[in-house]
Amino acid sequence: MIKVRHLKKVFLTPSGQELTVLRDINCDIHRGEVISVIGPSGTGKSTFLRCLNRLEEPTSGMIEVDGMDILSRKTDISMVRRRMGMVFQNFNLFEHLTILDNVTMCPMILLGKSREEAESRGMALLENVGLHDKAGCLPEELSGGQKQRAAIARCLAMEPDIILFDEPTSALDPTMVSEVLAVIRHLASQGMTMCIVSHEMQFVRDVSTRVLFLYDGVVYEDGTPEQIFDNPQKPVTQAFINRIRTFDVTLADSRFDLYGLMGNIRTFCNKYGVSLRTMEKVEHVTEEMLCQIIPFDAPVRFTVDYSEKTSRIHMVFVLENSRGSILSAVPDDSLSLMMVRGMSDSLSEPEPGRICVVI
Amino acid sequence: MRKLRFILIAALLLLDSCSGRRAKDLSGVNGIEDLKGHSVAVSMGSSYDLMLSDIGGIDVIRIGLGELLVAVEKGRAEFCIIDQYQAAMLNMESRGLEIRFRNILKGTAGAGFRKEDSLLCNQFNGYLNGIRGSGEYDRWLDEWKSASDSMAYASFQVPVHDKQPGGRALHVGITINYPYLFLKDNRLTGIEVDLFNRFCERMGYAVDYEIYDFSALIPALNSGKIDVILSHMRRTEERARQVLFSDAYIEGGGAAVCRSADGKAVGVRAGFLERMKESFRNNLVEERRWKLMVDGLWVTIRISILSILSAVMIGIAMCRLRMSRMRVVNLPAKILIDILRGIPLLVVLMLMFYVIFASSRMTGTLVTVMSFGVYYGAYFSEVFRSGMMGVDRGQWEAGYALGLRKIQTFYKVVLPQALSRIIPVLKGEVIALIKMTSVVGYVAVIDLTKASDIIRSRTLDAFFPLILVSAVYLLLSWLAGCGLGLMEHRINPKSRKT
Repeated sequence: MIKVRHLKKVFLTPSGQELTVLRDINCDIHRGEVISVIGPSGTGKSTFLRCLNRLEEPTSGMIEVDGMDILSRKTDISMVRRRMGMVFQNFNLFEHLTILDNVTMCPMILLGKSREEAESRGMALLENVGLHDKAGCLPEELSGGQKQRAAIARCLAMEPDIILFDEPTSALDPTMVSEVLAVIRHLASQGMTMCIVSHEMQFVRDVSTRVLFLYDGVVYEDGTPEQIFDNPQKPVTQAFINRIRTFDVTLADSRFDLYGLMGNIRTFCNKYGVSLRTMEKVEHVTEEMLCQIIPFDAPVRFTVDYSEKTSRIHMVFVLENSRGSILSAVPDDSLSLMMVRGMSDSLSEPEPGRICVVI
Repeated sequence: MRKLRFILIAALLLLDSCSGRRAKDLSGVNGIEDLKGHSVAVSMGSSYDLMLSDIGGIDVIRIGLGELLVAVEKGRAEFCIIDQYQAAMLNMESRGLEIRFRNILKGTAGAGFRKEDSLLCNQFNGYLNGIRGSGEYDRWLDEWKSASDSMAYASFQVPVHDKQPGGRALHVGITINYPYLFLKDNRLTGIEVDLFNRFCERMGYAVDYEIYDFSALIPALNSGKIDVILSHMRRTEERARQVLFSDAYIEGGGAAVCRSADGKAVGVRAGFLERMKESFRNNLVEERRWKLMVDGLWVTIRISILSILSAVMIGIAMCRLRMSRMRVVNLPAKILIDILRGIPLLVVLMLMFYVIFASSRMTGTLVTVMSFGVYYGAYFSEVFRSGMMGVDRGQWEAGYALGLRKIQTFYKVVLPQALSRIIPVLKGEVIALIKMTSVVGYVAVIDLTKASDIIRSRTLDAFFPLILVSAVYLLLSWLAGCGLGLMEHRINPKSRKT
């Protein structure tokens, strides 16, 4: 239904620099598919979606909708857009119209429906999204979740072939996310073709038929939700899926700045919401390992990985050119070692000079 | 309601009694030289103004003709200098004033012509010579003098001359200056007008009188707005450099007026309501002066409406250019808007009338509407622009994404939302515009304010016409505010819903 080839989008920053957001996007969207677009922030997921209905003008490439090149000058883009609904992050309901008028305006203007026809259809759609009793309200009187449901109803009133969702829940209170997702789920179950940009991973996994992982301006990995979420093939996808955050530092010798390092670890932990208890454990383990256990006769590389998905911390200490196992050189009843063991779930040295601690 | 009326009247009485000041003893002043160290009110730009400024040591207060006597009455100036014919005509005693001395700057007045228009000037001189020889001149002057001396002007039959069909149309600039030029029963008459009408009748000219401020007469003549100055203008060296004067047709001089020694009006001072009644009769009823006010009001309303319409249209155009993404388009628009907003409206109006459209025969009304349109267009355009920018970009995108075209999105989505932001701000600008139309008197348009000026120059009463005019402007502004308020109400989705 939609064919995208070599799509490229370059933004010109206000300072005059070129910023390539989309480098070379290729993909196909078939009728009945629910495609989710995920990826780190700033990789152009929304830009990609907005290129599909030309709210952003692509720099180069080709987009075909039902065999028609929509980037061609001859194409009447307004006609194409009537067949492609779009749901925005900020809802963008028409502020001066009631909810019902929001839903009925475009069918009346563009599809030539009579007021009665448009209103009876509009009321049915509002009922479907649970806003039957809000028909006469103005958008400002609704909660965020209700606004987004109204926006979806407005989209559906045009009877589109496909709906593009641009982060539909990002601007919502956590309590309202589920009501919107439920409506989208319902649409998916009815076989509506959809393309969704979202950060709600559980939802994406449940609802999608296919997932596109966008990174570095290309479709970095592409597959079923199971493939992408359970068995990602490429490293960036893996890190993204497990939501791994990394803190990485190399210490030259034993005179390193311990207090500075502790401060940095604390900042890192606070930034990603590591619990206070875990953070204290990380600090203690770091101090014992670096000050007591590891003989500092060479630079030490020290990494902390935190997976937001599992809330686990992996710490790795690598002593360069180690002359043997570090742990075996330390007496088993050493107080430091006992402390580290006590605070961690596992402590191991898979190869000499490389100690792994899991908290 | 009664309480309110009481407070209002009390406030007015207080205002009235506060405005008087104890007069100094002025009995020693009997000549121009004695005026040194005193404050003297004169009509701005008049020959008295020039003379007193030359003498030095005199506190010269330059104001309009209509305010001269009032200024002395209220103690703002110790003396004022007005034409002695006029001084003789007015009942000074009843106002607590007296004529201190006369024959100031005795001299002769002539008509003014453009330098290159010597043909017309010669014709006029020839006509004067002719009537002087035939004795018609003396008869004419006696007629008017007797009318003045007897103070029976009210019963004096005004010689009326109808406009001549055909012939060259002469545009004559005049200043309302009793008894030379004044309006009686809303017809222009007076010594000078009578003379000039006779001249035009003889020569077969059509004539069209336009009322100017005295100080604006010479610029108007030189920019071609008028062909003749007929305003009791004395010949001075400075003026003669710019204007071709005809032979003198009348002799005159000024009289210095001050408050009489006891400083109080002679006779029983009437009560407040009595005086209001008298003012009302004097300023509106007599000589059907209300008609001048009503005409002025219509002019004000017409100019306001036309100006608002043109300002809206020009504002939309400027806003469109200003919001263009192309720098070559939006930069000139921005500069133009900044320039217009940085110049006083009166200056823009004068520039348009005396410089830009000087050579065209456009009427003051047309130039006014154009000036107001451009000037307020600049203000309106910024109001429109802020209204448009206040509408979130997402509203445009939502319209586009649903398949609306640009123009449909604008009219159905963006404009209604922009309007609800624009109208409350526009209300203030529109009211400012209506009030600002009071300056159009400067370009020879007789609007409400100018009409009241003309009446005041005749009755020399400041209080009543000014209060009346304020009340009318207040009413106009209120009505305009209501109209826009209604529009605001209809556009606001919240109020529309209920």
